[in-house]
Amino acid sequence: MKQTFKNSRKILLTMLLALGIGAIFILAIGENPLSAYGALLRGAFDGKLKIGTTLAAFTPLLLTSCAFAVAAQAGAFNVGVEGEVFLGGLVAAYIGINWGFLPKPILLVACFAGAIVIGMLWALIPAILKAYYNISEVCVTILMNSVALYITSYFVNGPMSAGVANAQSLPVLVTLPKILPPSNFNAGIFIAIVVQLLIIFMLKKTTWGYKIHTVGTNPMHAEYIGINPKKVFIHSMMLSGAIGGIAGCIEVLGVHGYFLNNFAVGLGTNGMLAALIVKSNVALAPIMAFFLAVLKSGAMGMQQSTGVPKSIVDTITSVFIIIATMELLFQFKDKKRKNMESGPASPDETIPVTKKDDGKAGASRG
Amino acid sequence: MSEFSIEMKDIVKSFGSVQAVKNGQFTLKQGEIHSLIGENGAGKSTMMKLLYGLYPIDSGEIRVNGELIKSIDPKKAISMGIGMVHQEFMLVKELTVLENIILGFEPRKGMVIDFDAARKMVQEYIDRYGMDVQLNKKIGQISVGEAQRVEIIKTLCRGANIIILDEPTAVLTPQECTQLFVILKSLRESGKSIIFISHKLNEVMDISDRISVMRQGQYIGTVKKENTSPADLAKMMIGREVFLNIEKTKVNTGKTVLEVKDLWTSGEKEISKIRGVSLDVKAGEIVGIAGIDGNGQSELIEAITGLRAVEKGSVVLDGENITNLSPRKIRGHGMAHIPEDRNTRGLNRGMSIEDNLVADKIDEKPYASHFCLKKDAAHHFAETMAEKFDIRPRNVKALTSALSGGNAQKVVVAREVTSATKLLVASQPTRGVDIGAIESIRSTLQEVKSRNIGVLLVSADLEEILSLSDRIVVMYEGRITGRMRAEEATEENLGLLMMGDVDQAKEE
Repeated sequence: MKQTFKNSRKILLTMLLALGIGAIFILAIGENPLSAYGALLRGAFDGKLKIGTTLAAFTPLLLTSCAFAVAAQAGAFNVGVEGEVFLGGLVAAYIGINWGFLPKPILLVACFAGAIVIGMLWALIPAILKAYYNISEVCVTILMNSVALYITSYFVNGPMSAGVANAQSLPVLVTLPKILPPSNFNAGIFIAIVVQLLIIFMLKKTTWGYKIHTVGTNPMHAEYIGINPKKVFIHSMMLSGAIGGIAGCIEVLGVHGYFLNNFAVGLGTNGMLAALIVKSNVALAPIMAFFLAVLKSGAMGMQQSTGVPKSIVDTITSVFIIIATMELLFQFKDKKRKNMESGPASPDETIPVTKKDDGKAGASRG
Repeated sequence: MSEFSIEMKDIVKSFGSVQAVKNGQFTLKQGEIHSLIGENGAGKSTMMKLLYGLYPIDSGEIRVNGELIKSIDPKKAISMGIGMVHQEFMLVKELTVLENIILGFEPRKGMVIDFDAARKMVQEYIDRYGMDVQLNKKIGQISVGEAQRVEIIKTLCRGANIIILDEPTAVLTPQECTQLFVILKSLRESGKSIIFISHKLNEVMDISDRISVMRQGQYIGTVKKENTSPADLAKMMIGREVFLNIEKTKVNTGKTVLEVKDLWTSGEKEISKIRGVSLDVKAGEIVGIAGIDGNGQSELIEAITGLRAVEKGSVVLDGENITNLSPRKIRGHGMAHIPEDRNTRGLNRGMSIEDNLVADKIDEKPYASHFCLKKDAAHHFAETMAEKFDIRPRNVKALTSALSGGNAQKVVVAREVTSATKLLVASQPTRGVDIGAIESIRSTLQEVKSRNIGVLLVSADLEEILSLSDRIVVMYEGRITGRMRAEEATEENLGLLMMGDVDQAKEE
């Protein structure tokens, strides 16, 4: 609990620092940072429409940050959440358009189920490659994001095209109810919150969470103690993919009502960013996701009412990333120093290890 | 000119919040072998690293030949004639012995290295001190003992008059130790001073002129060898009497619990590192595997415990074939395992003591029900264990990364001992832990044995093998070179078998 408090304070300070550096840039282009930030906040919160827009932007980020964090807990760096969102959206759209023979509530469930399944299967590919062939999941998922994007592009331009000028599909037959219309804020937020809570519960209170944590922190120990690290790694990647799929489904059924080409660009990376800043702490990731959502939705308002370009928000986000990584760097340095110090204080730690095992011992076993 | 070539007075050194040395005192006379002893973490290595200038001191003074030294770094230390042989050798594996020795101060002939001059210079030291070193071999091809002699020559070539040896015998066989001591004594004859860091009392009594003891960063005292005994030294080291030589309980062996038949397995780099090993362990006995580190003990243990694929042969636990089963299933059959490396295998350092204590029982009642963790049960169990095994600190919610080596090992031992129902595999159970923990871990193993559980013990520490085992198996290069009852074993015949010298061992 104390740790969580300390972390929250750190995040707050990082936010302020990023905003501070952003202010310097705003000053440099001859604008008043206070009024710019004021405009940004008004752009995000002034009136029902704006609040709705902010919350609508928050919903998918909440899920994608959670998806990344779950995988990270087991030691996987899943950059592929974005691809899972795209494919989840595509499958949800396909089911939502074509399975009209189902009653509405069941159709809704079917859309989500389809999105979850495709997200899991898509994440299964890099997970197996990593667990059994030691191929970096980072590379594979980055590449698979492009593949996913082009698959969906093909479908909405071809077989699933609505035939209009925009690359998009026909409208789906079932949608999530909108809250605060005319904004895009919709009932998907409740699904996202429930998912988030379930994940937190799973990680903290269940044996599954214990195993994910063990594998994420020390796979060698996991293997020794009787937890199959490969299995747990694959499961948590699939869980991550499933959450990505849910995000895609909510975007299609709740926000757009149809599959819109390129709808998820940035959702995965921003979610990843939110999770990375809080070191994949699932309980804290929502705060970051919310902060990013505010920046994103307030940017347009700021650009319209002051002379500050919208891209300053990207600058702030980038500065944020830099500070967050710097903090990790400090920690790394700290750790290194501590290791060096504990060397002489407890020499038993420095006893030469005679045998190196990269944890692949069981890999060749049938 | 002072009587002492080295004087260290009131030394204080902290690393962050840890005070490694609180009150360090040390003096060295010319031409003596002075041992610095203490438990792990007593600050002896730190003291010497301060002298060698690897870290700056916080306060206190260091005098070399009576002269107060303001600041010191390794370069300066070398120029003042201080040399250090570290625990981990600083040698380049791909270079030859000669190249390693002259590295950094190569004699030159114009643009090229004058290897002839170098060889002549090095050979002089080899001859004078009777060191057995092959100059043309690469470091990767020579034994640990030989590498250590290379390190000693290296310091001599750099003009060292004072040589610091940091736990030099930890990696040697008894025979190699004897050889080292001969060299050290002849170095002393020629007027060199030697600082010998160790925690093995027998060696210290064998080699030293004077002995200084440190405990928890504090200087305890300095004694002359003539005026002390191993028992006295042990008392000074840990502040109370110790009983390491636990009386062996009588063997009441039952049926065979572990049977390894013609086992073959590969190492990380070598194919078939273990070639046809067979052994058995009966209920209620301790079978010790002796051998120098790296002769296949680790691979053998991993193959038995399911962490390494068995290529050929079989492992049978209490009548059931467990060859190549998963570690989880093998555990289910009643085998527990204290791994040789507690930090990578034995513990999850990012988790608390209580989480680590229930790690292997995490799916079982009462620690879990319907996939939910029962933290209270785990906590209760952990408190009992902490009390029983004297794990300090008692706060079982503390992270295991915060524990000292001995207490971290006690967590592993507590967990495995309570889980063992048929066989306990204990690999290097007391490596790198303090003497108090050694005492308690050894008596725990005895207690396990008396519960009619078989124990397979691997240790590089001969004394441990001798004092605990009922039967002893010696491994050399992936094969078994000898088997005997504990009564027949001595340090000498085991030592010879550990070096693969089967014939000579038989003659003795």
